Amino acid sequence: MSDARAGNAAITEKIYYDDDIVKKFIYATIFWGAAAFVVGLLAALELAYWPANLELPWLTFGRIRPLHTNAAIFAFGGNIIFAGIYHSTQRLLKTRNFSDLLSNFHFWGWQLIIVGALITLPLGYSHGKEYAELEWPLDIAIAVVWVVFAVNFFGTIAIRRVRHLYVAIWFYIATIVTVTLLHVVNSIEIPVAMFKSYPVYAGVQDALVQWWYGHNAVAFFLTTPFLGLMYYYVPKAANRPIYSYRLSIVHFWSLVFIYIWAGPHHLLNTALPDWAQTLGMIFSLMLWAPSWGGMINGLLTLRGAWTKLRTDPIIKFLAVAITFYGMSTFEGPLLSIKSVSSLAHYTDWIIGHVHGGTLGWNGFLTFGIIYYLVPRLWNTKIYSQRMMNWHFWIGLLGILLYYISMWASGITQGLMWRAIGENGQLVYPDFVETVMRIVPLYYVRFAGGVLFLTGFLLLICNVWITIARAPKGERAMAVEVPARSSDVTDIGTGHRKLEALSVIFTVLLFIAVIAGSIIEIVPTLAIFKYLPQTAKTEPYTPLELAGRDIYIKEGCYVCHSQMIRKLPYDVLRYGANSTLEESMYDHPFQWGSKRTGPDLARVGGKYPDMWHLRHMIDPRVITPRSIMPAYPWLAAAKIDYNILRKKLSVMKMLGVPYKDEDVSNADINAEKQAAVIYQGLLSQDPSLESVKDTEVIAIIAYLQSLGKKTSQQGVASSNR
Amino acid sequence: MPDKEKLIENHDYDGIQELDNPLPGWWLMTFYITVIFAVIYFGYYQLFGGPTLDEELSSEMGSIKAEQEKTEEAGEAKSQQDYLALVSNPDAIAKGKAEFLTKCMPCHGDKGQGIIGPNLTDDYWIHGDGSIPAILKVMNEGVLDKGMPTWKGVIPADMEEDVAAYVYSIHGTNPPGAKAPQGQIIEHNN
Repeated sequence: MSDARAGNAAITEKIYYDDDIVKKFIYATIFWGAAAFVVGLLAALELAYWPANLELPWLTFGRIRPLHTNAAIFAFGGNIIFAGIYHSTQRLLKTRNFSDLLSNFHFWGWQLIIVGALITLPLGYSHGKEYAELEWPLDIAIAVVWVVFAVNFFGTIAIRRVRHLYVAIWFYIATIVTVTLLHVVNSIEIPVAMFKSYPVYAGVQDALVQWWYGHNAVAFFLTTPFLGLMYYYVPKAANRPIYSYRLSIVHFWSLVFIYIWAGPHHLLNTALPDWAQTLGMIFSLMLWAPSWGGMINGLLTLRGAWTKLRTDPIIKFLAVAITFYGMSTFEGPLLSIKSVSSLAHYTDWIIGHVHGGTLGWNGFLTFGIIYYLVPRLWNTKIYSQRMMNWHFWIGLLGILLYYISMWASGITQGLMWRAIGENGQLVYPDFVETVMRIVPLYYVRFAGGVLFLTGFLLLICNVWITIARAPKGERAMAVEVPARSSDVTDIGTGHRKLEALSVIFTVLLFIAVIAGSIIEIVPTLAIFKYLPQTAKTEPYTPLELAGRDIYIKEGCYVCHSQMIRKLPYDVLRYGANSTLEESMYDHPFQWGSKRTGPDLARVGGKYPDMWHLRHMIDPRVITPRSIMPAYPWLAAAKIDYNILRKKLSVMKMLGVPYKDEDVSNADINAEKQAAVIYQGLLSQDPSLESVKDTEVIAIIAYLQSLGKKTSQQGVASSNR
Repeated sequence: MPDKEKLIENHDYDGIQELDNPLPGWWLMTFYITVIFAVIYFGYYQLFGGPTLDEELSSEMGSIKAEQEKTEEAGEAKSQQDYLALVSNPDAIAKGKAEFLTKCMPCHGDKGQGIIGPNLTDDYWIHGDGSIPAILKVMNEGVLDKGMPTWKGVIPADMEEDVAAYVYSIHGTNPPGAKAPQGQIIEHNN
């Protein structure tokens, strides 16, 4: 290696690594981790025991669940990624970070975004797109901070003292490039107010772009950066060489190339065109081996350090994390098979699958890294090995309770939904019956969460005491590194040469991820041109649109789908399968991903307005065993008629066929429609004067419009 | 470390070294198999005429409808007289009442007095004449314009007659808080 030779020539210099920034990100990881877990626990309790929603708008499940997912992924996950990247990259490239100013801007910017999320999500400012709920000002802030991070990172690569980039760095590059692409493309939206915007995509386009983003948030936020961390911290902690350099090359490139195609597996059996579904499924299957390449390299690197598995809790955390990675990446392709998806999709099996990955892989890897880093950064020893061991066992038990209860819940409910008797009718036609069966498992899941959080509290105590007892006032140690060399001869051939050429490497990586993106997304952007000419969809009335925005604000989509799949039991339960044109003006789409409550695609006209009013104020009046939160505040808050002209004009700009007079009369038309609904309710119950012009009227108008906007029906109409 | 494994020269990153092990054969085989499967699967379904999801759904719905029709044909239409035995059968009435309390109560009240939906205990009927076949017809077909859903399939087939008999049985009970009459007055002869 040229660098080594340079070192032999004794041309070295002394530098200081920036470990302050690593410490800051470690603190933030622990702080936000605790917040994310507590909020997750609240969400779990709300499903087990509905009174835990407390009838407070900002604590209701629909708003808390996005807060939990965003906090866990981007606050807890994000901060440990940044801590690990800033720590390992300096050491792998033998240089201080490019700019301390940018590092600190990155740190404080990211924390401010998290605080912004913590305030806006409970207030209901949401896009209604999963893991991308944050509204447009925060979207812009994320883009800015992420670009600052990228400049800092690539700047560090540019000033490196090591010619060749190690595999961890490849994964960091893949993360930074692809997350930029995903975030920017998925967040293209037109603002209508300070914290309200509409995405430019509608219906199936929005569904495809969203799940291209959503799936690859898992790929490039929860997988590739953590694989990069694994490639640094596992060999470091175990003091073992990487098992196979060749395997790391093959699995890296196949992983980044194939992962980007797999998004449509979130949309199997839906109205998404068959070819896109098939691509999503087969690429997910092909992803199995590339994912396991990472697991093999991780586990076999630990080979020879197996004795440490008994004695060193850090190795335990890392080994179990990699094992969960292997389990999740086997389960993922399995769930992507169309027929398996027909059982598992919309059920808690998916929730279990995700948490196997996040609690097991991301969580335990993070804990291992924190336990590795804290004593080294603070130049001391960890306070208690016993507490680490307890954390490990309590946390592991928590994950198993979570995972197994959600498997059982998902498979139970999936089987009940699809059961058809010999008479050709559903065996469990009453949806709430299938919910009652799984509620006990929600308590088990909650118990699992309590254990996981308890383990994490041990980590907090242990780290706190360790830092408190660390020697104070010591200056950072200087490290001796080889001097920079401009010697570019003898950088190797083939992939070895590529590892020395960071710009070309990054360009090739970009090509690998953009290929699948273009092939899947671009044809869909033109899809509405090819719908049958007979297809005619009415846009929402202004009042329905107002109601739709309340539906999004309250996070109804986290429990209710609006997509009747091309499956007989979906059709028997909910009516004809959903078609593409039905959601063609839906900015954003609201197909949903989970059915804690029933599908709503054809709920319009199924029940009278009074039914909906009573149900929104107290669901138990209508369905005594319902676990849905009550929404009494909707019958108190007034509809904002004034913003409707602006909303319709933005929709018109996005291609929704409103006429000019529709836009200019939006508020008047909405008031008229609201008056009709209100009078209807009042004629049945004169005590309802207070609901005049309240949000519940708008949401009733929206719900009554679902499934009524087009004459086009799916291929199968049920007998109901 | 087994002797045959060798470290790659000059691969040293902050003390991390790399071994020159080959790709595991079983791993490579897994990869190849998934790729071959993917090609065949895509070819069959997207290029060479495998059934589309729409076609699969149509054919499955066809056989389900056949089963539904077969069951319906099996049950012959009965008259009011055939059903009256149910009204005097306490078991049937108890079962019908239990089902009524979960499915019908939210709109018609726990005693059939009417809330969102009409009073079921008075002499006035909006749809049909209040006979058990007429009640069954409204239950099964619904009156969607008025907000009465179709209950066919939701109320289990072996319960629907019991529910109708129960509704018939509460006629004239005059519960407290009964909703004002709606529809046509029907002269009953029982």
